[in-house]
Amino acid sequence: GDTRSSARTTTDLIAYKNVNDLPPPKAMMIQIDQKNEAVLLPIYGIMVPFHVATIRTVSSQQDTNRNCYIRIIFTVPGTPFSPHDTNSMKHQGAIYLKEVSFRSKDPRHISEVVGAIKTLRRQVMARESERAERAT
Amino acid sequence: MQNPGQLKIYSGGILWKKQGGGKAVEVDKADIAGVTWTKVPRTNQLGVRSKDGLCYKFIGFRDPDVASLTNFFQTNCGITPEEKQLSVSGRNWGEVDLNGNMLAFLVGQKQAFEVSLADVSQTQMQGKNDVILEFHVDDTTGANEKDSLMEISFHIPNSNTQFVGDENHP
Repeated sequence: GDTRSSARTTTDLIAYKNVNDLPPPKAMMIQIDQKNEAVLLPIYGIMVPFHVATIRTVSSQQDTNRNCYIRIIFTVPGTPFSPHDTNSMKHQGAIYLKEVSFRSKDPRHISEVVGAIKTLRRQVMARESERAERAT
Repeated sequence: MQNPGQLKIYSGGILWKKQGGGKAVEVDKADIAGVTWTKVPRTNQLGVRSKDGLCYKFIGFRDPDVASLTNFFQTNCGITPEEKQLSVSGRNWGEVDLNGNMLAFLVGQKQAFEVSLADVSQTQMQGKNDVILEFHVDDTTGANEKDSLMEISFHIPNSNTQFVGDENHP
């Protein structure tokens, strides 16, 4: 049971409580964990999780050398309609990760990742706004 | 940035050899500035920071290895490894910590990730509050990486006082 629901905002969402809750590492590539609503990014040999609610947009691009690029933009205070605005006071003084870009050798994997992040994000946002509405 | 190989930890320092030959990493005991252990999913990561500011990471250690190697580092090298905890909460706000060539992003005092500034090809300020780091993408060392990090940017709100007025950060 979630007893904090009335005070809860999307930024309170937690991907994992414990290191061992993370999915077993596969290849060093971007992974989506539907169950924990997390996107895992390979940064210097470690899979780093980000809750999908911290992601604002995701897009991909392909160049003429068949390289594929993915760009993930996170929510930061001061962006219009960002869920942070209501409670950015809570994290005063914090530094935000704003954006990451990866190059990939596998365009199909990247388009799957982009699609999966968008779908997951939509689901979580819909659920959270419903929760917020019910709380008021 | 992940390469299989063999690591030798002996009284003189550490020596790592890439599987099938080629690249080797050697850090003499006298050049070790610090050693860290980090629990990562399913395994443990050893971090060796050298005095010239570089940091080497090795994974594949079982829990019993951590205990015995900690002991070894203490008795043979006079180095006490530090335990570094990993943040897995999935948040994108926290603190930036600079140590030698390493930039760590900390969430709730735990490390979410770490990048090496030695691999940064360019830094840029965007507006007043954003810092962009661009990374060299090295096709040789990244051979086992399907997706490689190219760029990362941090948003530093005006409310942050850590890096006020520091044009060169980071």
